Amino acid sequence: MKLFVETSAKLPIVSIAIAFRSGSTFDPSGREGLCRTTARMLRRGCEGWNADAIEARIDTLGGEFGADASPGATTAHAEVISRRLEPFLEICTNLIGAPTFPEDELGRLLREAKAELIEARDSDRTLAARAFRRTLFDNHPYGRRVAGTLPSLEAIGRADIEAFYKRHFTKENALVAISGDVTEKGAQEIAERLLSKLPEGERFTDAVPEPSPKGGRRLVIVDKPERTQTQMVIGWLGTHGHDADHIAWLVGNTAFGGTFTSRLMQEVRAKRGWSYGASSRVGFERHRDAFTMWTAPSSTDAPACMQLEVELLQTLRQDGLTEEELDFTKKYLARSHAFEVDTPRKRVHQPLEEALYDLPPGYHAKYLERVAAVTRDEVNEGLRRRMPFDDLLVAVVATNDDTGEALSKALPGVEVTVAPYDLE
Amino acid sequence: MTEVSAVVGASPHAEIEAIVTKLNASRPDARHVRYEGPAPFGQGMIVQRFALANGLRVLIEVDPAAPVVCLQTWMRVGSRFEKTGKTGISHLFEHLMFGETEESAHGAFDRMLEEAGGETNAATSLDWTYYHQNLPREALALGLRLEAERMGKLILREPQVASEKEVVANERRQRVDDDVDGAVNEILYREAFRTHAYGIPTIGWMQDILGFTPEDCVSFYRTYYAPNNATLVLVGDVDLEASLGLIADHMGALVASDIPVEDVKPEPPQTEERRIEVDKPSPTHRVAIGYKCPALGDFDHAPLVVLNEILFGGRSSRVHRRLLKELEIATEVRGWVGTGRDPSLYDISLTARDDVTGEALLAAFDAEIAKVLADPVQEAELDRAKSRLELGTLQSLESVSGRAETIGFYDTVLGEPGALFTKLDAYRRVTRSDVLRVARRCLVNDVRTLVLVRPTADEPDGEGEDEGDEVAA
Repeated sequence: MKLFVETSAKLPIVSIAIAFRSGSTFDPSGREGLCRTTARMLRRGCEGWNADAIEARIDTLGGEFGADASPGATTAHAEVISRRLEPFLEICTNLIGAPTFPEDELGRLLREAKAELIEARDSDRTLAARAFRRTLFDNHPYGRRVAGTLPSLEAIGRADIEAFYKRHFTKENALVAISGDVTEKGAQEIAERLLSKLPEGERFTDAVPEPSPKGGRRLVIVDKPERTQTQMVIGWLGTHGHDADHIAWLVGNTAFGGTFTSRLMQEVRAKRGWSYGASSRVGFERHRDAFTMWTAPSSTDAPACMQLEVELLQTLRQDGLTEEELDFTKKYLARSHAFEVDTPRKRVHQPLEEALYDLPPGYHAKYLERVAAVTRDEVNEGLRRRMPFDDLLVAVVATNDDTGEALSKALPGVEVTVAPYDLE
Repeated sequence: MTEVSAVVGASPHAEIEAIVTKLNASRPDARHVRYEGPAPFGQGMIVQRFALANGLRVLIEVDPAAPVVCLQTWMRVGSRFEKTGKTGISHLFEHLMFGETEESAHGAFDRMLEEAGGETNAATSLDWTYYHQNLPREALALGLRLEAERMGKLILREPQVASEKEVVANERRQRVDDDVDGAVNEILYREAFRTHAYGIPTIGWMQDILGFTPEDCVSFYRTYYAPNNATLVLVGDVDLEASLGLIADHMGALVASDIPVEDVKPEPPQTEERRIEVDKPSPTHRVAIGYKCPALGDFDHAPLVVLNEILFGGRSSRVHRRLLKELEIATEVRGWVGTGRDPSLYDISLTARDDVTGEALLAAFDAEIAKVLADPVQEAELDRAKSRLELGTLQSLESVSGRAETIGFYDTVLGEPGALFTKLDAYRRVTRSDVLRVARRCLVNDVRTLVLVRPTADEPDGEGEDEGDEVAA
């Protein structure tokens, strides 16, 4: 077990994160959602407590406990008013170390989870994100839905949950971060106590292969009725912490779409008023995740907006950043860094993230130094090498009858597929 | 905490008076600062209150824990001041405040602050509008200068007004027209408030948004954007004397104006249940319920917030447990007690599971309401609700921006920057009798407003789908 601590008596609350190095990439094929279901089952029954009693106890103590999964990790978050820490730890130790996974609660959770998947169809943003990842990563584990699908949730049984828990929820596979109204010594005791009922186990290494998406330009239209506005994601693969040009890429992305005055925001929103939001992001996982551009133009503006975004990518690849843009971006990243570490919780999560995602040692400590050292040639070379253009994926939620044809024509030669919005 | 006390908390009143006297000695009367004393803000934290000669209120909480500052300007204007045909101007104006000034080109405001490492945003609501800057401490002088510039020297003209109208129209499409929750919420408030301006959507009706002219915007600016209609909040690692000097120099030049008396039209008592049914492309049925609720400053507001926790706060709450866990007829239930300066809405949202109808959801919900109207809640439930509210209060204070927002909001709506803690004390004092009384006062089904959403989508049940149909798989 690795422990990270950040003490502060500013507020009388204690925050705890217990992370395991195993996430949804360990879900067996056909049982997608298993990792997340296991995490959510932690608070549905444990030694000495049934689900109702757990909920009531946590609320009475002024506490919070939640657990969720990502592709690379499973994390439980707990927070409590510090004067109630002792009884809170008592129950949390059982939630983490002695869950009972009652059959009736599992059935109830799976029914809830399936209903949530159906309700998620109301969120166009979620639909766009899912269509993008599903298509980009295809059968790679990063393309699977962490929450599972309706058929995969049907396939999950109690034995699957127990097996996943026994294999992955171990001391060796755990990292703990504690912040707030606690001493260093107290934090050590808390961490040991919380994991005291877990076996030693093994530290899992990630066996996921590097993603290698199918090349070419593709457009996925998620067909949903009565859309006056679209949700559009454009992108391709991005970077990860071990890339030699990782920091150069982060700097390039910040200049392109990472701030309110970046190129993308200026061209789409400030100059044309086409979308309320316009940004680009670099995803974060142990392997290369996605680079994405996000906009939400009206149905009538969507084809032109898509064309503009692709042109902006082309210009960026071809001409790179200007000296002025690079200088501005480096200043922004250096000076705004204070907000990355302005609370105890943020400060303790940096080393946790570094260890959990196998980032290069000193990733955060050397971040400012590395940003300062990046040259324009390095940034522009990174953009030329990896910024998508010939290989490009667009996912749009729109009403196909109204907007589909215009979208398809706006990107000549693109391979178009149409998916119903209730596909998943 | 101790660090705060060392800088300001332990400073005697006279010490701050001395700082102010020193500052005023070198400035003309129009730029003088007046110290109005400390306001307690929870355990160990203190908000120092000041005022400028032009009427600007200034609230400062010094906290050197991290080298950052949050600067917020709260304007006492929101959509409640709007008229038919001109709805949404408060919100459109919020967007325009990031534009051109007599001294800075369009876009320069954000560019300069970002270059300094800052981040900016703003929000508009029924009663207020606020502007927010998160800054490294070194950028405070720049932030204050730019804030004063746009408060006094904003330029409003085409093509920026036209472009921003398009942005807001897209924001409306995203948040209301193509969003079921947003659309339902708009209908709920429109039906519940037929006289009071709380029935106007803050983002405005689409035709009004598209109809604004630069002249409308100039008129709004001259009417409401004056220092005597604003509160400046500063939280973080600041030197009190230096920051007060900057505020006096930059903000002291702003000219006060005659803020018009608000033509407020109280909502007449609702005498019937109002029910609207709408079809939306949603996979499930939904119900939105609005009960009229007391104003934020009303004695019964705190008991209603506690009752809301008992009904909706967390998985052990009554409605959550009954509708999600026992009956398995809902995927989400939410309740929110309005925080308006005037009586507003206790706003409830229920989302059905599978093909459960809105009527079935409503019947189950009403059964829970009948119980809190008939019998006092349990002491244990009351304790749980109070604990949850205490944790939520503490969590909101973790960052400088969280504290600035709390201070600005309560000062703007209630005139007390530390009222969050007054509310927390009020929650602690709530009794089972208070909860019963407030339930019977507020949860009156005969005079509530309902919006029932029916799905127009095709069969929502995707179970058994053919994975082979997945696009581009």
